[in-house]
Amino acid sequence: MSFWFRCHLLVALFLLQLGCQPLVTTFDDIETAVDYRASSIGAVPGAVDTLLIMTWNIKFGGGDIDFWFDCWGDRVLMTEDEVLDNLEGVVAKVNQVDPDILLLQEVDVDSKRSVYLDQLQYILDHTDLNYGVFASMWQSQYVPSNGLGRVNTGNAILSRWPLDNAERIALALRSDQDSLTRYFYLRRNILKATVDLPGYGEANAFHVVNVHTAAFSQDGTKQKHIDRFKEELDKIAGSGGLFVAGGDLNEIPPNADKTFNFVDSKCEDGDFQADDYSGETDWLNAFYALPAAGGYSPAVPLANFQGDNSAYFSHSTNPRAGFKRKLDYLFTNRQGGWVPGSAVTHQDISSAGRALSDHAPVSVKLVLP
Amino acid sequence: MNERILRPVVVAVVLWAVCLSTVRAENATWSSAAAHTLPKGRWEIGLFQPLRYGQTDHLEWSTHPILNLVIPNLSVKIAHGDGAGWQLATRHQLHYPTPLLRLVRREGTGGLIAPDLDIPAILFLRSELLLTRTLGSSRQLTVKGGAALVAKTGALDERATIDLPIIFPRMAAYRQGYQVNFGLDLVGKLFGRWGYGADMDVFLTPGFDQPFAFEHKGLALWRKNDRFQLLLGYKLTFGDYPFGEQWHLLPLLDLQWSRKRQGRQ
Repeated sequence: MSFWFRCHLLVALFLLQLGCQPLVTTFDDIETAVDYRASSIGAVPGAVDTLLIMTWNIKFGGGDIDFWFDCWGDRVLMTEDEVLDNLEGVVAKVNQVDPDILLLQEVDVDSKRSVYLDQLQYILDHTDLNYGVFASMWQSQYVPSNGLGRVNTGNAILSRWPLDNAERIALALRSDQDSLTRYFYLRRNILKATVDLPGYGEANAFHVVNVHTAAFSQDGTKQKHIDRFKEELDKIAGSGGLFVAGGDLNEIPPNADKTFNFVDSKCEDGDFQADDYSGETDWLNAFYALPAAGGYSPAVPLANFQGDNSAYFSHSTNPRAGFKRKLDYLFTNRQGGWVPGSAVTHQDISSAGRALSDHAPVSVKLVLP
Repeated sequence: MNERILRPVVVAVVLWAVCLSTVRAENATWSSAAAHTLPKGRWEIGLFQPLRYGQTDHLEWSTHPILNLVIPNLSVKIAHGDGAGWQLATRHQLHYPTPLLRLVRREGTGGLIAPDLDIPAILFLRSELLLTRTLGSSRQLTVKGGAALVAKTGALDERATIDLPIIFPRMAAYRQGYQVNFGLDLVGKLFGRWGYGADMDVFLTPGFDQPFAFEHKGLALWRKNDRFQLLLGYKLTFGDYPFGEQWHLLPLLDLQWSRKRQGRQ
């Protein structure tokens, strides 16, 4: 009997014991996203000519806790006080920026590590954002590793206005893992919705697209995710739709000064090494191409980034020491739509002794047609 | 054995053993949840059930030999006779789950408890009263109730739980330091070599955030003779968990063997 056969036999036994309910939730290629709404719906603005868009990977409200996967510590599960303290900080930042539309990544809605608090509902209930949609990237009744237990985390779009046509588009699974690990691993996705803005409808829908691509793959899965994201944006643009899109692409911009050997990289375990981008420097070129070549308008123009990389850094595995690379983006297909100078990478969420996430939010204003 | 194999083996064996720990046969020859004990000198063992031994006609010991490696355990059932049509017995269970909890508190696969959490030494004692009445010629009804007390060398972190059916409600006692339980068992004969068993158990942990758990088991028993039987059925559980209420349906399967020691009658 081979090792793998025995291993899978034992796992099958384990799964059988857990009965009819699958341990891990799998997803169709395209599924309807989960709708949310604030407990109390606030004033919904009428016609507007400018929108403030924000994207933020909130690290499941983990703040500056040193978790095991970043190799700076060994923490796995937060206490209730830690979760609430961190979320209060997240909400305070969101309320300070006061976006009209918010793209979030790594939002826990039912995870043991964050005391099973529904963070999306919490944020809706503590900000002026009224509506939300959610697409899970990791939903498991029980992850029997590191004491993680139950997990449900994913991407979310929040808006002052109602969201329609929300879809979860499945992204490719990693192929560089054994079948057991892959079964329990993340199932990343693109979350897409239309915003019920005054003056916009079926014929001229305003789309929001949120993505969080693979971080640790060594098999080209991340490139597949980025390409699929671009393909989805091309579809919207090709149909005449207007979009804002972004998220955590886990990729540095073209021609970044530093592509490997980052000072905050601490993991030696290959499963969590994600910091050599030297072979990936052209993976985002298609987004930054000229419109005629199928490119889109970035919130932070490439020239600005190249002029001062560090001003736009949005991620660090040790955010207390400042951000070290840019991984978070916003794009639109409305050329000239971003208000010049309005893009902000909010590195102030990280300061000595305190950080709200390992990612900085990015916000920008969009002038509507 | 390779560690990567050992870990799921331990998890699977523990789960099976816990599920089947209260599975019993349907008459007085085999051990049961009823208020009677094994005949003197008779012993039983199952794939996942404990080893049971009738020291006298009124005293029965049981322990799970494999689990003893990671969770030392011992149980004794004492029959106290009958009156007004009811048989009376008490059952006292003692186990020390600390080695098992520390085994599954680890990094990587098989880590059911976060590795940065402390696990104190925990000693668990449950005492139960069993009352059994024979109904007709082929059924026995048992009413039971009990209480558990836990001694610890320190507080158990509220995050040091395994939020799975069957396990979570039992671990609630480790956190809270006490628990009460009550339930019913019904066993009987169907036809030929077939019998059945059904039970329900309620676990209450007052003062705990998730105080309630309910378990029901249904079993078909096929007895080849008084030396071997097959048990097949299901366990239905409902309980409060930190993430809310949830039902689970679990399959049960076991093989059980029995012998009587010569010269002990």
